[in-house]
Amino acid sequence: MEIDSQPAGVAARYFDGHSSRLYHVNLVVQGDQALISGDIERRCPLVQLHVSERSSHAVRKVSFPDGAYLEIADQAAFNSLLHDSGHRDSWVVRLQQSWRGALLALAATLLALWFSYQYLLPLAAKGIAYALPVSVERQLGQGVLDMLDRHVFEPSKLAAARQDALRAQFARLATPDDTVLEHRIIFRKSKIGPNAFALPSGDIVLTDEMVKLMPDDQAVMGVLAHELGHLQRRHLTRRIIQTSAVGAGAALLLGDVSTVVATLPPLLLDLKYSRDVEREADDYAIAMLRHNGIALEHLAQVFVALGKLDTDTPYLSSHPASAERVARIRAAQ
Amino acid sequence: MELDSNHPGGSNGAGSGAINREAITFSATGSEYFRIWIVNLLLSIVTLGIYSAWAKVRRNRYFYSSTHLAGSSFEYHGNAVAILKGRIAAVVLIAAYNIAFQVSPFIGLIMFVVMAAVLPWLVWKSLQFKLYNTSYRGIRFGFGGSAKQAYKYFLWLPLLNMFTGGLMTPFLHQRLKRFQHTESRFGTSHFSFDATVGSFYKTYLLFFALLFGGFLVLIFVVFGSVFASFAANAGDASKAGSILLAIGALYLYAFTVLPLFLTMIQNLIWNHTRLQQHQFQSQLTWGRTTFVMLTNLLGIVVTLGLFTPFAHVRWLKYRLESTALLAQGSLDEFVAATGQQVSATGEGVVDLLDFDLSI
Repeated sequence: MEIDSQPAGVAARYFDGHSSRLYHVNLVVQGDQALISGDIERRCPLVQLHVSERSSHAVRKVSFPDGAYLEIADQAAFNSLLHDSGHRDSWVVRLQQSWRGALLALAATLLALWFSYQYLLPLAAKGIAYALPVSVERQLGQGVLDMLDRHVFEPSKLAAARQDALRAQFARLATPDDTVLEHRIIFRKSKIGPNAFALPSGDIVLTDEMVKLMPDDQAVMGVLAHELGHLQRRHLTRRIIQTSAVGAGAALLLGDVSTVVATLPPLLLDLKYSRDVEREADDYAIAMLRHNGIALEHLAQVFVALGKLDTDTPYLSSHPASAERVARIRAAQ
Repeated sequence: MELDSNHPGGSNGAGSGAINREAITFSATGSEYFRIWIVNLLLSIVTLGIYSAWAKVRRNRYFYSSTHLAGSSFEYHGNAVAILKGRIAAVVLIAAYNIAFQVSPFIGLIMFVVMAAVLPWLVWKSLQFKLYNTSYRGIRFGFGGSAKQAYKYFLWLPLLNMFTGGLMTPFLHQRLKRFQHTESRFGTSHFSFDATVGSFYKTYLLFFALLFGGFLVLIFVVFGSVFASFAANAGDASKAGSILLAIGALYLYAFTVLPLFLTMIQNLIWNHTRLQQHQFQSQLTWGRTTFVMLTNLLGIVVTLGLFTPFAHVRWLKYRLESTALLAQGSLDEFVAATGQQVSATGEGVVDLLDFDLSI
């Protein structure tokens, strides 16, 4: 940059907005007017000019109302000119241009992300899930059972009388809050061993292997109460909302770089929500058994039995470790 | 303005001077962009994404104003409110699309058809928005094209390509780029594009030959050693180790061949693009592209994402600074087109669906 001969003058390149022709000019401020002179002369009130944001590496620009503009490379001289003419940076720019501001923003971002993940999102998902009619959740699960029947399940080998007896026994139990969503208990023989789960369609599936694994029928009631807990607490809808929000967040933060990298955090972050949901269903089962005067030890025995099959570790599993769950149930007694 | 003929360095056209190689320079730095990025990120989060439109404008202004060609920088003119409206429309569209499939396959199918029907139009509008809001030396870029062309290049040809098992991909890629580059304007001056379909097929073939050839060799060598460790009845740890090593080697190989493809295709496209008599030149190299991409990925993973803005600047800097304009004569003679307004709806959708139209 050449040294300015005039005080408060800044060398600039002017473009008129109509052609790509370059004009070398000098910019001075006189009172409330900006004046350029050199290859072209022009005068404009300061209030009509727009100054681009401060930055240490990008070129500064001053735009005229008609699309013409000045490019200024000499940051120091231009900053002092702006200062003298009373121009103030916006607070966002001041934050961006200071390391202290940026680090503060970083800390606040991490805090906001953690807070949203830990409290805000689960709360919002709960609110939305309860606000939605049950029929919406029921819509979500259509076709899942058919698919499972084709690929995973065979018809149950349990006698129809035995099935009906278990159904009737569970139907006699009162729910802790005396409300109960419509549900259906179905039995299947499975290729995947002992299992029980609730489908959003309102079907609670119990495998023959699970029924056989249970030490007594009260334990089967415990399993059914746990699954009913998933339905009553709208866990499926809540999980869908939470998982998609975490996924969308990760995609927005990391998607620019790699889709593979962006899919990892949702997988890991989902584990916490998954364990939270299991705990909530356990709590529901505890409340339901207690409400009906069934000893909680029956429920504890469910997880003792499952624990013998369990090779999961608490950190990378979707369910809390069996031992941990047994301890929680016994502590609730 | 009329299109020039195909001799690079020929003396036709308006310019009469010698050819001047004007390399693009990019003066943005990772540390400055990190500060802009983190403040933008915070404000976007606490405003539940609303600020993201303003964040995009800030980011683009910074990047464009840091991109210099022949002593002048670029400028971004996108309007944040317009971008916000586009993003809201996009969110509604995408949410409706996802919910439709959950509700019933039939409604999902209808939504799919609706999306297929509106997307090409939106992508076209997004190209117009992007170019219209970019300027250099006070002259705005622009994008022409028609809805008919948009449907041809963004719907019918991709559909046809699907039915031919992807064999038409290089052809489609060439047609897309030809459409994109010949319909782009700088002021009233059109860009032109003369890469042939054959050269696209050659690039794709080379890429796939290297990819699968390399995979075969790797499978032979690495999996050979895996089998050896199994045959030798080695311990479980060494078995697992050799399998991980084998998978790692395949990934690493894919990550070095992909940059080769990016390098070749980017060079092919820009070395066959001109603005009137001014020829573009792109000189990306395989080694450097691979190095930048791998170190960026590593940096982002190791810093849990904090390296992202640095990675962004490094990649942009390398790509931009490998591009030059072989200016023939003066760059003073371009003329602005008479103003035309464009909507930002397409821009929002294309942003969120993450289409990269730059390659």
